[in-house]
Amino acid sequence: MAAASENGRPIGLLIAAMGGEGGGVLRQWLVDAATAHGLAVQSTSIPGVAQRTGATTYYIEMQTLDGSDPAAARPVMSLYPLAGSVDIMVASELLEAARAMQNGFVTPNCTTLIASTHRVYAVAERTAMGDGRFDGTRVLKAARGLAQRAILFDMDAMARQHDSVINAVLLGAIAGTNRLPIPASGFEDAIRDTGRAVEANLAAFRAGFAAVERGDLVALLPDSEFKRPWRADPPMVEQLQHRVRDEFPGPARTVLREGVNRLFDYQSLAYAELYLQRLIPIDRAERDADGHGNLVREVGRHLALWMSYEDVIQVARAKLNPVRQARIRNEVGAKPDEPVRIREYLKPGLDEAAALLPGWIAAPLLALAGKAGLRDRLNIGMTITSTSLWGHFLLRLLASLRPLRGWGYRYHSEQPLIDHWISNIAKAAALDLGLAAEIAACQRLLKGYGETHRHGRGSFDGIMATLVEPALRREMDAEGAAQAIARAREAALADPEGTALQAVLMTEEKTELAAE
Amino acid sequence: MERSFAKEVKQLRLGQGDTFHGEGILAVTKALLQAGVSYVGGYQGAPISHLMDVLVDAEDLLSELGVHLETSTSEAAAAAMLGASINYPLRGAVTWKSTVGTNVASDALSNLASAGVTGGAMIVLGEDYGEGSSILQERTHAFATKSQIWLLDPRPDLPTIVRMVEQGFELSEHSSTPVMLELRIRACHVHGAFQASDNKVGRFNRNQAIPEPNHDFSRITLPPSTYAQEKHKIDVRMPEAIRFITERQLNDHFDGDINDVGIICQGGLYNATLRALVQAGLADASGNSRIPILALNVTYPLAPDEISAFCAGKSAVFMVEEGQPDYLEEAINAILRKADLQTKVIGKGPLPMAGEYTAEVVLRGLSAFLEQTKPQGIDLAAAMAPVAELDRHKAKAAELLGDLLPARPPTFCTGCPERPLFSAIRILEKDLGPTHVSCDIGCHTFSTLPPFNLGHTVLGYGLGLSSAAGVAPNFGKRVISIMGDGGFWHGGVSNGISSALFNKADGVLMVIKNGYTSATGWQFVPSTLRMRPGRTTGASIEKVIKSLGAGWLRNVPNYRVGKVMKTLRQALTGKGKGLRVIVADSECQLARQRRIRPEIAARLQSGQRDVRTRFDVDDETCTGDRACIRLSGCPSLTIKANPDPLRDDPVTTVLDSCLGCGLCGEVSHAAVLCPSFYQVDIVRNPNYWDRFKDALHRRLLGDMARVRI
Repeated sequence: MAAASENGRPIGLLIAAMGGEGGGVLRQWLVDAATAHGLAVQSTSIPGVAQRTGATTYYIEMQTLDGSDPAAARPVMSLYPLAGSVDIMVASELLEAARAMQNGFVTPNCTTLIASTHRVYAVAERTAMGDGRFDGTRVLKAARGLAQRAILFDMDAMARQHDSVINAVLLGAIAGTNRLPIPASGFEDAIRDTGRAVEANLAAFRAGFAAVERGDLVALLPDSEFKRPWRADPPMVEQLQHRVRDEFPGPARTVLREGVNRLFDYQSLAYAELYLQRLIPIDRAERDADGHGNLVREVGRHLALWMSYEDVIQVARAKLNPVRQARIRNEVGAKPDEPVRIREYLKPGLDEAAALLPGWIAAPLLALAGKAGLRDRLNIGMTITSTSLWGHFLLRLLASLRPLRGWGYRYHSEQPLIDHWISNIAKAAALDLGLAAEIAACQRLLKGYGETHRHGRGSFDGIMATLVEPALRREMDAEGAAQAIARAREAALADPEGTALQAVLMTEEKTELAAE
Repeated sequence: MERSFAKEVKQLRLGQGDTFHGEGILAVTKALLQAGVSYVGGYQGAPISHLMDVLVDAEDLLSELGVHLETSTSEAAAAAMLGASINYPLRGAVTWKSTVGTNVASDALSNLASAGVTGGAMIVLGEDYGEGSSILQERTHAFATKSQIWLLDPRPDLPTIVRMVEQGFELSEHSSTPVMLELRIRACHVHGAFQASDNKVGRFNRNQAIPEPNHDFSRITLPPSTYAQEKHKIDVRMPEAIRFITERQLNDHFDGDINDVGIICQGGLYNATLRALVQAGLADASGNSRIPILALNVTYPLAPDEISAFCAGKSAVFMVEEGQPDYLEEAINAILRKADLQTKVIGKGPLPMAGEYTAEVVLRGLSAFLEQTKPQGIDLAAAMAPVAELDRHKAKAAELLGDLLPARPPTFCTGCPERPLFSAIRILEKDLGPTHVSCDIGCHTFSTLPPFNLGHTVLGYGLGLSSAAGVAPNFGKRVISIMGDGGFWHGGVSNGISSALFNKADGVLMVIKNGYTSATGWQFVPSTLRMRPGRTTGASIEKVIKSLGAGWLRNVPNYRVGKVMKTLRQALTGKGKGLRVIVADSECQLARQRRIRPEIAARLQSGQRDVRTRFDVDDETCTGDRACIRLSGCPSLTIKANPDPLRDDPVTTVLDSCLGCGLCGEVSHAAVLCPSFYQVDIVRNPNYWDRFKDALHRRLLGDMARVRI
């Protein structure tokens, strides 16, 4: 155990934390333990607005004193961490660890990095329309490249396991590294002295300590770890599943199987069959282009999502799903004897209503409302208690409209669009499989309800008209078009107003004209 | 204040022979009592809030010592208190957040400084400059020099800070001049120890009243006294101060074996400077530097002889002075030239003009200085190595981490009652189009940050409405002004509301009442309802506004976004001119949680019924366009990996930290978002009726659910 770091300077310990994680308490534990062991210790912090969920830091220096009189040999301690002299860098979250490294506080000459691998997403990551999450694997790579020793594991999960807060696990990890001249018992005493949630904190502390001794290996769980299992085949689709196995290439089968089951559940056996019918031309086109089934898989994935578009019926059925209540009870940690009431916030509007009416009523109705500027104003805001008899009944009433969906306006307006999209993909496949895949991926833009959905549809149509059609007319080269479509799709997800997309489409149009 | 500082108060009772352990600002508080103050006042704000908060909890101790504590409603009120030290031998101290606080206090300070003091008068300032600062970046130094108030900038270790407080009062009395004690944010929050001494009782105090008034026209700031006072500053006070500073050796000298160069630093920057020297291999951790250092614990006035003596025989000195303009560098240059010394003063240049002087900044400055001056007996290569290493290292980090990291700006807390108001403004913008929003100081200033990005100006505390006075008449739409209850009592009521009504202003004012000055640590305001018995004044913001003549006044329930929007729409589009005042009244959620958590725990303990509410999102129906997050930004409303095996983009979810305020549900209604939000009420310790209903529903619905449609 080092009494002090090289060139006799005190041991530097920097803690990067966020509000509400007990960083202040962690600081206090460390100071108390150090004081109790006769170390000279100084700590400082910039709490500022940390309490308001901002990022903040605490900095501690400590040094063993020679001689009996502490006042005499008191070293001069810094109030600032200095890159190259931070011996222990603690980060309560992965992105904050990255920030510490970016600021140079993690150096191979002396720094032990202790960081939790869980993510608390920053506002920019949370508001991105597509996927704005920062790539965590980068942080791990950097940690291994920059730290003298890196201790990384999900300390948040460990804390929750022991009904404690992350600061206790962090303290355990700090103790576990043996970088401080304080025995584990010293920290445990500090925890006891604070007298709050002592048992839980001690348990979390020991878990953190043990994790370091075991040398727990970090592994960021990829999204695939959190996926729901594929649906089981209902008996009635057996024959369709045979077709999937016999007629379609290997790489596509799992997805297509899910598609079939999903659409059978969504509407009917015939609808599930239509799904496969629609994929046959794609499969043929891909084979002709010597593809190996990746295109069919991707188109199958997007087609299943499009054909199972969200409408009132679908929402009602989702809310009625028998497994849902159990899942919610368990998510909110309700005890078996505790009644749980679930209130659904629904606000169906004109679009949702019209979707179920026959076209000859719905079309003029929507047109009229559009002229009057009422299209987004005619809504009924309701909170339905799905755990009550009446609420449940109401939802079942909506769900029971499923057989009528086929006569609805929305159904009839979606099908031709889908067929047109499919035929475009098939045509594109003849030119370039990459182009076809990009067109397929545009389905990703068709999300949301009401105005949001119309906006997405607008972006989709814009890309089809400005990029896809010209490409199919061979006015652009296939590869260039593929890249342009990918760019446009990202732009469409860049901002809710669609300004970025407009910009991209404008430039593309210009270049086309230039090309002609 | 919903917190107790009993532990800190114990520290204030320590006496001779005890060792004090605690924060810098608490050490100052203790030092004030050791110096025998008779009155303390101030206005809260980081980083000095603690001084007031602790004293508020120390009423018993204060009455023993006869110390009066004034929780002033503004810095101006606090500063004016120091008037007690003009005529009477009373030691007093006031505190606030510099420099914004000093701006508010300036009027009283100038008059105080001109009149001069009999009893020691000290102003404790939290110099909130640089990293983590929440205010504009300015220096206190200018205030000190323009009003001739001495400025102490002690080395950031507790013994020195305490010594400077005690000596500061003597300096103040010897030179009949008020004194400022400047502490940077890290120094206020530094935890350390010092040898305590007994608290002193002031000669006159609450328990030992002043018998007679003392009329002395020479103390009145009215001609001709003012002319005499100005002359007295120059002829008497300044020389006295300089003599005291040199005789008592308030500044610290540290010798070194290299005499070719030296370092002069503000006392507050001594530790950072020394750490830079250690890193460059020019000092050891116990403070033995090879280059001599003069640490100025008093940065105004400077003692010319002391400066000259230190610089004599040196080819150059490294000036470590934080912030701009470089007052000290200029002053020291003048001193040396007058003394006909040719020592170069090198500061700004190697060191940046603006920004906080962290250890790294000083290290970079130091190596630039050494490279420029190449002093004998220094291994230049070794001294420069750390910076080069640092650059190499940061470059590598940047390369490994790639593009910029997402920032983590502060935002409204989970369940904050102020968030819904800005959600309402944002949603309403879709209809009425955006308008000018004039912000104020407080938690609500976070509206200017993502995801709301609402607000165009911040002009000062309580000035939200005043700062719209010039915009409103010249703007195409009716403008919105924001004001918190803290800002209201701090001056918004007079500067803003009465002025606006007096001038027949047209506009919308949203007064956000949450019961405390939350941003500074939940201090009470006159309209706070839950105060310690005997302290509540029962002041009503609504009554005050009415009494000033506001015709249009509405209250809104913060969390009901629809209702807030309706009222806002009326205010923004209503016919006829005039000020429309909307009062949004809902207690600060942090303070509320701190109060009710123990209550709920107790209820559950004793087996009483309690309903816990939280919200969540159905990942099957959430298609992840994030409109809900952009309109709320609640920390508990976030994203997770999409569980649907066919989808890639993450879905929205609600963390267990949700307090069930209901905003996300309200927003999904008000903005017509998606049908994915649901509210869950968990009945804990259910009664028989709950159990019966639940059993019945589960049974019947269970049967129904078996019939899948």
